[in-house]
Amino acid sequence: MSFLTGPMHYHLEGHKELTAHKDVLILEEPDDVYVPLVNGRATCTPVVQPGDKVCVGTKLGEPVDHWYVPVFSPVSGTVVGVEKRMSAALKPAEHLHIRNDHKKTAVRAFEPFDHESATREEVLEFTKNAGMLGLGGAGFPTFMKYSKPENIDLFIINAVECEPYLTADYRNAMENPKLMREGALALLKLSTAPKGAIAVKEDKTDLIAVLKDAFAGTAIEVKTVPDIYPSGWERTLVYMLTGKRYDRLPAEAGCILNNVSTCIALGDAMLNGKPITHKFVTVSGDGVANPQNVYCPVGTPSGTLIQACGGYTAEDVLLIAGGPMMGRAIPNDIFVIGPANNGLTVLKHKEEKQVKCLRCGRCTETCPSGLQPVRINQYEKLKDLEALKTLDVMSCIECGTCTFICPSKLDVTEGVRRAKRYLQLQAKK
Amino acid sequence: MKLTFKPSPNYRTSQSTTGIMFDLTVCLLAVTVFAVAYYSAVYGASYGLRIVILEASAVITACIVDAIWAKIQKVDVKTGILSSYSWITAMILTLMCQIDVNPYALCVATVIALVFGKMVFGGFGQNIFNPAAFGAAVIMSSFAATKSTDFVTAATPTITAANYGWMMNAETFASYITQYGGLGKMLLGWYPSSIGSTSALLLALCCAFLIWRKDIDWRIPVIYIGSVFLMTTIIGLIKGAGVWYGIFNVLAGGVMFGGVFMLTDPVTNPVPIPGRVIFAIGCAALTVIIRLKANFPDGVLFSILLMNMMTPAIDKIFDGNQIKNAVQFRNKTILISAILAVIGIAVGATVEAKIPEAAPAEAPAVEGALGGIDFSANNVEVTEVSRDGNNAVYSCSADGFGIINGMGADYSRNEATITVDTSKGSVVSVVLDHFGDTAGIGDTATSDEALAAYTGLTLNDTVDTVSGATFTSGSVASMVQAALEAAAK
Repeated sequence: MSFLTGPMHYHLEGHKELTAHKDVLILEEPDDVYVPLVNGRATCTPVVQPGDKVCVGTKLGEPVDHWYVPVFSPVSGTVVGVEKRMSAALKPAEHLHIRNDHKKTAVRAFEPFDHESATREEVLEFTKNAGMLGLGGAGFPTFMKYSKPENIDLFIINAVECEPYLTADYRNAMENPKLMREGALALLKLSTAPKGAIAVKEDKTDLIAVLKDAFAGTAIEVKTVPDIYPSGWERTLVYMLTGKRYDRLPAEAGCILNNVSTCIALGDAMLNGKPITHKFVTVSGDGVANPQNVYCPVGTPSGTLIQACGGYTAEDVLLIAGGPMMGRAIPNDIFVIGPANNGLTVLKHKEEKQVKCLRCGRCTETCPSGLQPVRINQYEKLKDLEALKTLDVMSCIECGTCTFICPSKLDVTEGVRRAKRYLQLQAKK
Repeated sequence: MKLTFKPSPNYRTSQSTTGIMFDLTVCLLAVTVFAVAYYSAVYGASYGLRIVILEASAVITACIVDAIWAKIQKVDVKTGILSSYSWITAMILTLMCQIDVNPYALCVATVIALVFGKMVFGGFGQNIFNPAAFGAAVIMSSFAATKSTDFVTAATPTITAANYGWMMNAETFASYITQYGGLGKMLLGWYPSSIGSTSALLLALCCAFLIWRKDIDWRIPVIYIGSVFLMTTIIGLIKGAGVWYGIFNVLAGGVMFGGVFMLTDPVTNPVPIPGRVIFAIGCAALTVIIRLKANFPDGVLFSILLMNMMTPAIDKIFDGNQIKNAVQFRNKTILISAILAVIGIAVGATVEAKIPEAAPAEAPAVEGALGGIDFSANNVEVTEVSRDGNNAVYSCSADGFGIINGMGADYSRNEATITVDTSKGSVVSVVLDHFGDTAGIGDTATSDEALAAYTGLTLNDTVDTVSGATFTSGSVASMVQAALEAAAK
């Protein structure tokens, strides 16, 4: 059908060579960490009091509702208290401030766990208590995804990492194939699928070799996908691997997906009894002096990471939480690395010279959701509610391809966001 | 230190609208250079210079209009000119014209194209009609009479083919096409046409370049040119014309130029891909219909303007999610495309071949000394009317184009009164009494100038035929020969 729809994806210049093959910098831990108590839609209440001594792995927060993601301490030290800080979601959120004593005393948050001898329900319960969540960016609690799998044919491990600049998942997988194997096999068991697939971009040949080796003899095989954006988006990935489209959830196409870092975190939890306390974070872009991957505790302020990478290279930069396509530019560098953050992209700020839309339709050809951003922008200006509904605006995932591709340098994605907000506002009325 | 906020994404492709326009400019310049080379080589340097003057005056006019528009809009003049891209319109408009277009007409058309074709709609990106096509239509409808007579070329394929009613059998075509050196020469482009449409090969190269640079959607030129080819090939097969017919229809006129540079104007074609497919097929059907059935020599221009009007409607019928509506959109595309193609072929297939005026290959040769030419086909009759000293007056009549080719009751013999100086055996005067050939074509051979050229002529002198009116020239010359021979007796 691509004759009539266009490719619905695009090859982006990844700039991954900036960081992919450099050694990971083990960050000298900061004196203060601020552990987010809100992760995605999961909110915690602290179970520690100011002044309490905590160790690496001490449980800090217990969830308040069924979005169950407990929070564990990434460092050892003293609890200072709960503070409202700007989060990477551009909203003030509650963080637990811990003063680091740099002693790295650790406790086991939970006992190591053998998924092979355990029942599916026991694995699910372990996943829940270990505070596992989707580390690809969405932060969806892992146990919820696997609570009632039905008719699942394929378990997919998403190791595509299609965001430009980011190589944290790649580095993490290269260094921890064993942990990944454990986590992946446990998730395969949870998924009830007969087989699994690891999706990797075809140009990452070294990672493909490592994974093929690690997963030899399992029901999980390595599948390559082309170097295009957004091949790591669930819908595009499921379509590329199975040829199926679905309406709401990948389960409709018989698929269940998790990010590669989630598998590794779960493997770490099962083999070593460690919750998610540290992250691989890519710090990259032309706005930072030494782009590299950094291994840091959860709750490290972004500014600390930038300083560790040699600081900014320009007076005016964009500091982006995540990759440049879907990550938000944040106008401060006090926000901290949460469990679901994989990168900081720092780009020199250049004003784009915008000209008028020439209706070239490139946004329509490349939209992975099959939308027509140019038409949505036209009707958004007219506030034409019916036309916007016809154009299926709410299917937009804000992947940013339309703004990327626009030769007139217009903020097309932002126009679609306005249209979405307008529709939501009208729906409430 | 400043951390700037901007909405995501903060990553952009290097391709820019200005870059696209730059690529287009390069291609249009290449086409211009080829045209200058061709006209200079075949018709002389003044013709090549003429093209440069035409294009320069159009581009300068466009920049002036943009500058004024920028002042009105209160933007910087340079920014205004560089973000309005009107020079492209001016270049395309120039290349769509014939070389005999008046520079003044071209400049006026440029102003009208930009002001009424673009700016009244709100400027670049807002216009409904392709501004260059709009301007060319203005020239065609309002400035046809201002053509310069200093730059005359041989007739273009669209004119000569229209004389045949755009249909001929394979044999006629074989002799017809020799005037352009065959289809191969037409592909290379060594024949007169509108300034920019000459070389199909160069246009194809431009097309490939623009597609490779992702400046245009490949579907539009490929589907448009392919559809014109398929429709005319089918029509050709129905009418027994042969396979050449489709190829000729693609090479002749503005199909290639329009397909590469004008249909692909993103501002005026539909946004969704199925819409562009329909747009291209619709343009192809209208091109075929207008070319074969209407009075205009070529249909490309008006097919574009007509389909431009349909663009908003086409956009509208493909509004929606392209994945969720994939089947529905595909079926709509197939249905509408099929209807358009069938209409194009059905209407086009009603074309009737005509026997044209002044088919050069069939005209009798008028060469060498007047006394030695065989004018037996003209059935000359001569009678002496009076004689005054050395001056003998003869009343003559001869068959012309209409009688020789059996064109019917509208045609008659040409008649002239010729005075001869019997002492010198030379012509004193030729006065046409009755003109029996085609007005507008044959009468160029009977103009006062043409007839005055016979004064002083003897049987030993050679005569020049007037191009495009060789039959009538021959008819007049046959009467002069008869009068001179009668005087010599």
